[in-house]
Amino acid sequence: MLNDDEDVFDSVTWESPTAPVYADHTPSTGPGYRQSIDSNESGPHDPKWEGHLITAVTDPQKELAETKDAYVSYLVSAKTNLPMFSTSNPSARRRFQDFVFLREHLVKDFPACVVPPLPGKHRLEYLTGDRFSPEFMERRRLEYVHTSLEPPLSNNVTGNAGAGLLRVLRMGPEPSPGIVDNITDTLLNAFSRVRKPDERFLDMREGVDKFEDGLVLSERLWTRVRNRTTDLTADYHDMAVAVQGLGFLESGITDPLNHFSNTLLEFSALLRHTTQTTTDPFLIQLHSLLTYSHANRAVLKLRDQKQLDFEELSDYLSGVSAERDRLAAIINGHAGSSGLGLGSYLKDRVDAIRGADDDRSRVEKMKKLDVKIKELQDAVTTAHETSDAFSDETLREQHVFQRAKEAEMKEMLGNFADGQIEFYKAAMEEWDRIIPVIQRIHVDV
Amino acid sequence: MEAFDDENPFDTESDRIPSETSSTSKVDISEPPSPPFNPSRQLSSEITSPERTFPSQGPPRQPQRSNFKSDFCCARDRILHSGDDVEILITDAQKTNLGATTPYITYVIQTGNTESRHRYSEFESLRSSLVKLYPTLIIPPIPSKQTLGDYAVKQGKAKEDATMIARRKRMLQTFLNRLARHPILSNEHVFHRFLDGEVSWHEVLNSPPISLLPKNILKAPSHDPTDQEASPAYTALPNPSAAHPLRNPDQRFLDSEAFTNKFAVHLSGPMEKVTRRTVKRWSEYAQDHAELGAALNGFSLNETGSLSGAIEKTGQAVDATYMSTTKLAQELEQNWAEPINEYAQFSSIIKKLLAYRHQKHVQYEMTQDALEAKREQLEELEKSEHEARRLEAALGGRSAVSLPSSPDQEPTEEESNIQTHSASYVPPHPGPNPARRNARAPGMGFLNALSYTLHGMMDVDPETARRNGISKTKETISQLEDALHLAAQDLKYSSSTIQADLDRFQRQKVADIREMAISMAQSHRDWCKKNLEAWEEAKREVDMIPDHPNKLPSPSAPQPSTSTRRDSTTTLNGR
Repeated sequence: MLNDDEDVFDSVTWESPTAPVYADHTPSTGPGYRQSIDSNESGPHDPKWEGHLITAVTDPQKELAETKDAYVSYLVSAKTNLPMFSTSNPSARRRFQDFVFLREHLVKDFPACVVPPLPGKHRLEYLTGDRFSPEFMERRRLEYVHTSLEPPLSNNVTGNAGAGLLRVLRMGPEPSPGIVDNITDTLLNAFSRVRKPDERFLDMREGVDKFEDGLVLSERLWTRVRNRTTDLTADYHDMAVAVQGLGFLESGITDPLNHFSNTLLEFSALLRHTTQTTTDPFLIQLHSLLTYSHANRAVLKLRDQKQLDFEELSDYLSGVSAERDRLAAIINGHAGSSGLGLGSYLKDRVDAIRGADDDRSRVEKMKKLDVKIKELQDAVTTAHETSDAFSDETLREQHVFQRAKEAEMKEMLGNFADGQIEFYKAAMEEWDRIIPVIQRIHVDV
Repeated sequence: MEAFDDENPFDTESDRIPSETSSTSKVDISEPPSPPFNPSRQLSSEITSPERTFPSQGPPRQPQRSNFKSDFCCARDRILHSGDDVEILITDAQKTNLGATTPYITYVIQTGNTESRHRYSEFESLRSSLVKLYPTLIIPPIPSKQTLGDYAVKQGKAKEDATMIARRKRMLQTFLNRLARHPILSNEHVFHRFLDGEVSWHEVLNSPPISLLPKNILKAPSHDPTDQEASPAYTALPNPSAAHPLRNPDQRFLDSEAFTNKFAVHLSGPMEKVTRRTVKRWSEYAQDHAELGAALNGFSLNETGSLSGAIEKTGQAVDATYMSTTKLAQELEQNWAEPINEYAQFSSIIKKLLAYRHQKHVQYEMTQDALEAKREQLEELEKSEHEARRLEAALGGRSAVSLPSSPDQEPTEEESNIQTHSASYVPPHPGPNPARRNARAPGMGFLNALSYTLHGMMDVDPETARRNGISKTKETISQLEDALHLAAQDLKYSSSTIQADLDRFQRQKVADIREMAISMAQSHRDWCKKNLEAWEEAKREVDMIPDHPNKLPSPSAPQPSTSTRRDSTTTLNGR
């Protein structure tokens, strides 16, 4: 029967691919081979996996226990055939802070990639105890697994001081510093919308929103089912006690009723066992998938902002250009009536009244504007490139994310279904077993 | 107390061993699993039928009387005792306005090929009549009237609630069938007329035997309260309360009373409460799954490809759970909760029955005591009379008037006494004697009147008074002797009948519990089976989602899909 020792910190193990899978692993041939995915939806944006990188987070250990600096360290191990690793079974001990550091790096270096989020340091919802509890660590393991599913992330390596576990290379266009940053900062407006929304991204956004809605709703309802099941566990326990009481009163059938009471007890235990080993982990996974999806949504938002940057910048540029053109027109003798609008006409008049030195100042101004325009044009080009590249990357990323999502859901639903099947099989056996026992009660009416 | 076993009216088989008490009757449970079946009988307890029939028949059902009945009182009687497994069915519950200002529900009862209709209040009157006609039998319960809880929830619409009506239908049907299977009650013509569609129930209620029922059952014979030939001495019997203690109680019935109390407490307490709670919880669980199934369905529409299919199939498994759980809750309600409720009601019925027997016992003891008292009184009177005669004889020609009041008194004193108290001699007044006071029970109305009249007859002639007193006392004694005889008879009859019916009830209870437990196990088993199938289907669909490319290029042997948690890696080669 199940025991409650599974909650004990020390006995936590992960039935994940660590031990058995590693034993089976045969190293692949040659470094850096490319393998194409035999799926029927390979398009230009489909990512290419260059090998495998399977990770696991295990073996939580309390370090510096009893001191005020106590923390938990996890054994992060991997199996891989990627060339950039010096060994095919790299491993190191890392603590939560290290994960945070890694994530921050990834987010900075791969803005177009959906970096999975880390579980909060103190997630009260799913924790039964302190932060060293099994569920907590399970979620971290999942987050780490997410990371390894990202081909761009795993295919590229950078230097990482000291341990040499994961080395992530820089990749992708670096946003150029300077003027663009300044201007983007000024122009960034949380409420402004992209002027020319790309339908693909609109669809994507909608899909993500709906996906998240589905997850949220499922999580809520499944949590309700879980709580109801916990109540049923207690109810069947009480029923077993009541039936046993009846058995004591009815001295002729005490034995069969005791057996029946046992069956009720078993059923109650099975319900509890399923909740602990199937439903709860499922809910945790569901929730982490949700936060993963939030990260995806954040990337889409970022992409929108990049496009927004570009558009705003373009607008600014065209504004300045128009100004310059107007000046040029004036200088060349064409009066300011070329559709520049009331505003500039009034400005002209005011200038004339002020007695500004028309031509020289105008030429100076024009020269300044030219410089500005040149700068802006560079900036716009860069912004355009950035935006386009980001959009491309995002499209690719979506496929990656979609894959990851499918794989996660497959695992989640598969495990859940397995748990349910196991429960119903065991319960059915129990009920089948008790029927002949009761039928043997002799009746004489 | 005499032994009551020899007059057991239910004893059809002489080899049946009378049980000690109803609570400890040993039921043999070590029988082999296949008891000898009578192939011609279709037994509901062995068939997995959706409609569980109560009371259960149990394996091999004996014919109702070992000799078949031949003198049927009516067609219904014939049907009920035709030897087949007759079942009375309530086929419908119809709303009607017939003969009433407000609409009510009438239940259609089918017995063989006869149909009759009755409303709930008529069932009530049938039952209460049977209770009065057969004070020594266990009359099965009918579903209770509205409970306060129901009213609170439904607020007036309770009567029309469909589940309420369905439950009443089932429980009324069970009631009728229990009557039909009772060896004595199935022969009661009032019951037959209830089942007869052509008879006006109102008429039945106002004609014999029901119209002959006395107001106080305790003052009528136990075996038939309507017996018009019952001795008038019945009216002389006291009317004690059920709480009146017994001097010499019957241990068997003390045990029965104790057991019944415990049973009642257990059933209406822990058992009923937890059952109700569980059934409610399953209904809520089913509701949750209905919502979840719908949510998953919607969810699947937003996804594509194999993921969408997997989510959809999962949603279908959840839907299947909703439906199977609804069925489970319903079956638990019908086949476990309702019988438990019925047996809780049975406990209070049996309590009342045991109280009746207790009262009969008290009657007997009280009558005994009264008889003792009267006999002593007579003895006193006769002693006085004897003394008087002796003195008369001794004193010779003295006039009867001047007889001394007590033989110890001095003649001189007595002369003056006679002068002063003209009505000198009075028989010792039975009333003020403190030793006898206990015998004067509150219910002895008639005897009180008798002795009062005795007081009143303090006529001038004490000798006549005494002689009158003697003859009156002798009369009372003779009446009390009759009454004692009746009380003894009734007590004997009641005790043996009740004991026999308790035994029968116990056997039926075991059969019913067996049925309930089997039904519960089967309901759960079916629930598991349906859900298992649905989830296996869902799992197959989930497996069809293609694996993630990031996986180990492991060798051929695929890992078995066990219940262990897996990473998103599989051993399928991605190449």
